[in-house]
Amino acid sequence: MKTKLLPGAVAAVAALVASCGALAQSAGSIVVYGGAVQINPKVDSGDLTAPSLPGTKVDVKKASQVAGGITYYWTDNISIDLPLSLPFKHDVVGAGAIDGVGKLGTVKALPITLLAQYRFGEANSMFRPFVGAGLTYGYFFKPRATAALSGITGGTPSNPTTLSMKSRMGTTLELGGAVNVTRDWSASLSVTKTFIKTTGSLSTGQTIETTLDPVSIKFGIGYRF
Amino acid sequence: MKPFLTRIAVASAALLGSLLVAGCGGGASADTTPAIKISSVKVFGDSLQDSGTFGYKFTVQSPDNLIYAERIAANYGQTLCNFFVFTGTTFAANTAKTGCTNFAIGGGRITYTGAGGAANPLNVGTQMATYASAAGYTASDLVIIDGGGNDAADLVGAYLAIPKDGAQSYSALLGTLLTPAQIGAALQGGAATVAQIGGTYMTALADKFAAQIKASVLDKGATHVIVMNVPDVTITPRFQMVLDSIAQASGGGSAGATARAQSQALFQGWMTAFNTELAAKFAGNDSVIVVDFYKGIQDEVASPAQFGLSNVKTPACPITGLGSDGLPVYDFPSCTAAALSAAPPAGVSGGANWWKSYAFSDSFHPTPYGHQLTQQLIAKSLATKGWL
Repeated sequence: MKTKLLPGAVAAVAALVASCGALAQSAGSIVVYGGAVQINPKVDSGDLTAPSLPGTKVDVKKASQVAGGITYYWTDNISIDLPLSLPFKHDVVGAGAIDGVGKLGTVKALPITLLAQYRFGEANSMFRPFVGAGLTYGYFFKPRATAALSGITGGTPSNPTTLSMKSRMGTTLELGGAVNVTRDWSASLSVTKTFIKTTGSLSTGQTIETTLDPVSIKFGIGYRF
Repeated sequence: MKPFLTRIAVASAALLGSLLVAGCGGGASADTTPAIKISSVKVFGDSLQDSGTFGYKFTVQSPDNLIYAERIAANYGQTLCNFFVFTGTTFAANTAKTGCTNFAIGGGRITYTGAGGAANPLNVGTQMATYASAAGYTASDLVIIDGGGNDAADLVGAYLAIPKDGAQSYSALLGTLLTPAQIGAALQGGAATVAQIGGTYMTALADKFAAQIKASVLDKGATHVIVMNVPDVTITPRFQMVLDSIAQASGGGSAGATARAQSQALFQGWMTAFNTELAAKFAGNDSVIVVDFYKGIQDEVASPAQFGLSNVKTPACPITGLGSDGLPVYDFPSCTAAALSAAPPAGVSGGANWWKSYAFSDSFHPTPYGHQLTQQLIAKSLATKGWL
């Protein structure tokens, strides 16, 4: 999905850039954008509580998804951004004492973020770097465990071990840049770092404290209304 | 422009809303499909893997108390039943239930020296040959093999009997695999060589076992084979008592403690010799996983709480008598889950479930939870190999 989308998007931007000059990201503008996001958790796992192999840890792999959002320009320089996306599906894999056992499960994540952004330059600047900060609610749902997780925790197909991840609030910082391609069309690229922790639980009773702190790269093409 | 904007806003709100609703039913689920399809599990070995040859399992009795081989089979949606039944004098095919593929028998050894000799299925090699003579293996067969624990216990027993029988049983056991010249030289060489030849024997025992596994299992087409190495039997309650008596015989105190530690190190050295050779024999063989059972149970006994164990020293089953060797005797058929739950010993925690966190059922065999921990140990190897 993503690999198909990105070259197309790049081509579209290139065409737009070629077409004409730039204008506006000014107060009162609402920009709706669409694109793609890759979330890459930088996991620092605690140890799974007993009973377990000493030093049992987990890692959470990166995931990509089509995404978009709405940006409202409060002033010419201050904007409020609400990113929207389909849920991300992350693989949870073994680490530490169980490094190598592979996938323990998948968990869907829907980060709900609200960012306040400061955009440098003038409303009609061609290129406007911006910084942002805000809150993220990491909503984790539909965890699906594997046979491997059941195996290493004493579960069976008739009584499988399941996992869950607690939804938590975190803070997000953003650094990005937007190119005003035409009066209404723009393209933006940003990198966000979210500071968020979660507690994973197994149906067999053990828990694991995990720092996720994902770095996300977001690309979007926006249209101003 | 305005209606379009409204539409976008509505659509966005609807999208966000639908995602939240979708998430609300987000209960945990499990995909229980293993990485590979296993349609039959074949088991060879001793009491640790015996599904009921004698009418009971070598653990606490209860229909839902599975031994580790059965738990691994369950991971692949399979069940096990005993191929052999004990007739009171010998072993016959199980006719009450046919199609059973667990050939393991309590008391099984790599080298069984009692009645019936090499043809007795108490030889794990004979169990493997029994199946191999009837059928081969496919890629959807999982094979679980253990052996050597009783052989190691025999060797320790024979070694400790040297002062009483003038090394008669020790040299007889060594003679099953080593030459008279080797044994003679060792026995005349003094305490050090008498001890050392035990390691030589265990290495030869591993060679024998590996050759049997190759001939009767791997060469017959098996591609998913689990071989359990020998667990450290010195940490079982039975051998702890044996070691305690060694300490006592050496006068107790620090001299006794030294003798105890030296003996344990010697016996562990023998088992390590076996395990090192076994691992070397299957190194690089993509069809075989050698599970480090030896270290697995050492870890459990070293840090019980980490593994959810409340007691790794005392057997959960009651003592029913004293054996000819002066060690306590236990009775598995009467050691049921119900009986144990009904009579928690004074001072234990967990109420009726007290025995469920014990490591040992009798002085030599794990509880059902001990079996679960071993199953988890095996599952870790299976998952790492990409088989689970």
